[in-house]
Amino acid sequence: MIRKIPPAGWAGAALVAGLCLFPFAMALITGQPVGEGAPKFWQGMLIQVFILAVYAMSYDLLMGYTGILSFGHALFFGTGSYVLGMMLKHAGWPLWQAALMIVVVAVAQSLIVGVLSLRVSGVYLTMVTLAFAQMFFILAEATDFREWTGAEDGLQGIPIPSWISPTDQRLRFYFVALGFALVMYLLARRVVSSPTGAVMVAIRENEPRARMLGYNTFVYKLIAITISGVMAALAGGMNAIWNLNANTAMLGVGTTINALLMTIIGGAGSLVGPMLGAGVLQLLGYWLNAAFGPRWPLIFGVVYILIVLFFPYGLVGTWRLRGAGLLALWRRRLGEARQQV
Amino acid sequence: MTNFLKQNRPLIIGSLAAVAAMAWALSQYEPKVAASILLSGLTLGALYFLVTSGLSLIFGLMDVLNFAHGLLFMVGAYMGYTLYANPRILLNTLPLLLALAGGAILARRAAPMLPKIPGGQAARWGLWALAVALLLLGSWGFDLAPLASTGISAGGDVPTAEAQEALGLFVGRLLALAASGIAGGLALALGQPFAGRSRGPRGLVLGAGLLALALLIAPARTLGEGAILGLSSNLRFLIALVVGAGSGAALGGLIEWSLIRPLYSRPIYQVLVTLGLVLVGTELVKGVWGPTGYYMDTPDFFSQRGEACPSPNLVAWLGDHCASIDVLGRPFPSYRIFIIALGLIMFAAIAVLLRRSRLGMIIRAGVQDAEMVQALGINVRRVFTMVFALGAGLAALGGVAAAPFIGVNPGIGQEFQLQAFIAVVIGGMGSYGGAAAGALLVGLARAFGDQIVLSGIQLPFMAEAVKFSPSIARASTVLIMALVLLIRPTGLFGKKD
Repeated sequence: MIRKIPPAGWAGAALVAGLCLFPFAMALITGQPVGEGAPKFWQGMLIQVFILAVYAMSYDLLMGYTGILSFGHALFFGTGSYVLGMMLKHAGWPLWQAALMIVVVAVAQSLIVGVLSLRVSGVYLTMVTLAFAQMFFILAEATDFREWTGAEDGLQGIPIPSWISPTDQRLRFYFVALGFALVMYLLARRVVSSPTGAVMVAIRENEPRARMLGYNTFVYKLIAITISGVMAALAGGMNAIWNLNANTAMLGVGTTINALLMTIIGGAGSLVGPMLGAGVLQLLGYWLNAAFGPRWPLIFGVVYILIVLFFPYGLVGTWRLRGAGLLALWRRRLGEARQQV
Repeated sequence: MTNFLKQNRPLIIGSLAAVAAMAWALSQYEPKVAASILLSGLTLGALYFLVTSGLSLIFGLMDVLNFAHGLLFMVGAYMGYTLYANPRILLNTLPLLLALAGGAILARRAAPMLPKIPGGQAARWGLWALAVALLLLGSWGFDLAPLASTGISAGGDVPTAEAQEALGLFVGRLLALAASGIAGGLALALGQPFAGRSRGPRGLVLGAGLLALALLIAPARTLGEGAILGLSSNLRFLIALVVGAGSGAALGGLIEWSLIRPLYSRPIYQVLVTLGLVLVGTELVKGVWGPTGYYMDTPDFFSQRGEACPSPNLVAWLGDHCASIDVLGRPFPSYRIFIIALGLIMFAAIAVLLRRSRLGMIIRAGVQDAEMVQALGINVRRVFTMVFALGAGLAALGGVAAAPFIGVNPGIGQEFQLQAFIAVVIGGMGSYGGAAAGALLVGLARAFGDQIVLSGIQLPFMAEAVKFSPSIARASTVLIMALVLLIRPTGLFGKKD
């Protein structure tokens, strides 16, 4: 069976191909070898974009698709980092078992948090999820578990298998991260376009009506939280590999705010939007940091507030709303210009 | 009566269980230890109440969950500390803000009397651009770091004469900012041509007054610093309380007017905006006062030492003002008694405001149905701004009161906000009594936690007491919240939905 591939699909394939070629293109342009200097640096930059993209996308499954505004998403991201770190460092497990453990822990955690926080809705839920995330943040800082978590220093020196080491095998890790983001994106798209995904959107639009149609909305919301939690935890695990550590900041409010920033900037309610937002946040953050020093989050906060006020649909949403009109306008202008010539 | 019992069965059973659990826990300690746990719990509870009550009022009336409430608490603490210990920061920044605000108010109110500005939309954007350009010009190169430096900061104390800018430059900044305010005010007026036409000269007088005040403070900065630092520490503390609460209320009103009000049709985005404010505000505070914290001295009224100390009782303390008071043979800091008293006074004052005043009546009606109140011809939007300012002012007041107790640092906002959220969830959103009960419960739980951290907990089947760090005590309140959520999701006093 042959399906017609939509233009967006071609654009996506072209993007992936471009990202595959990117390290080599950088090497050609700068004249440096692929594994060193500027090409290596920019691979690192994109690796972080890929990881954050998955994290942001997982957040959007909750916020944009199901309409659950959680302020505790850092909980899953940070827990993923810590689980991976503890399994590799203290238990000496191989990587794939650690990854499996992340999934198990994330499922358990999101079920517990979900069952408790879904007893309330709306802004109550934001408070409750924030409180749960803060609890784990405080516990990660607690000196009682220093042997395991490293308390406020974080879990340093995670022994990453050498074949995937982000410092020595940067190019390989680049492709692993790219593949990870791609697989997660395809999975998320599968979820969103499934009947379950349709119910999630129905819950976002009108929960009482979805319930009236006979759907147990609580279960669907729980499913959404679990899928999103597992994805975020896996992204957290990748982040721990990339940083070679797990620290308390990954559990902090700042990490949740990052997810929000990426989703809002990119556009909630689409899978591509938050991934785009992750790219913008990472690259803009890099340049702002170079230009303004350590106080750059201030600039970012102002930009975020302006976006919330004036572009509530984000980059992708605004494009979807206005894009067709702009394209038409551009074509018309082009036609007029041609006639004048 | 039986009806009441039936309707509130879970609440009554819950409160009885809580009281019984507390009585049992207290009976495990000697009376003097139990008393000091109770008093510590009341102290924390009073501070939490000041944050929680505003949060709950704002949510109850306008359905806005203010994530920036902890930020306002922190701003109050910093402003209070600044006035108390290092007023030159205020004296060097306040005139600039006054000039900006004064110019804006003056222009906004004067605009309807002026001839119409031609150009329509283009003129409006031009004015905004002019305002931003003048704002940048006026604040270009303004350095707060030497002003914020104190004896304990890295570079040491910078003398005021060097730290503050020369009068000419400062007045130049004032004029630029006032002009920026005027341009901004005109742009605002162009945006809403019909609003605020018949308000009379009150706005004009206010705007001009603010401008004049800014120009008056400018030459008197050094003098002002000497005068404030020359006051007795008690009087300075009193002024700090007023200034902290006032600046918190002003900031709260400004936030509601500028950021919350345009978003009433998109409730989710209100929450998102307040979260963005936390990011911006925390960075701003770090930028102005530095990323490290400060310690604020307790005023003399609560810090006398000597042979007679600790005071044997509260009445004797009124005479000797000892740093601590003897409670059943254990000294308890007298400043904390002040915090408890402040919490009780504010509790009673707000209760009277809500029950007995016209504004309170409108607020209570608005909590029930804001649209209906609007339909009755009451300007609900203005009440919204007032309540937001009131809640912000309460939180900021709590911040100032907390400063000598726990110090000032950029992290206190978040910490208090977390505990306030937990208190609100426990007590039930939008219920004033619930806010107080939740705050008290969380405060007592924290006090118990801290005591257990000190002494460890003795489990029956273990030989040694289990010890843990204060972090566990901080995290434990979340567990209480989880328990309440399981049993009664709307909170102890919340309405059923």
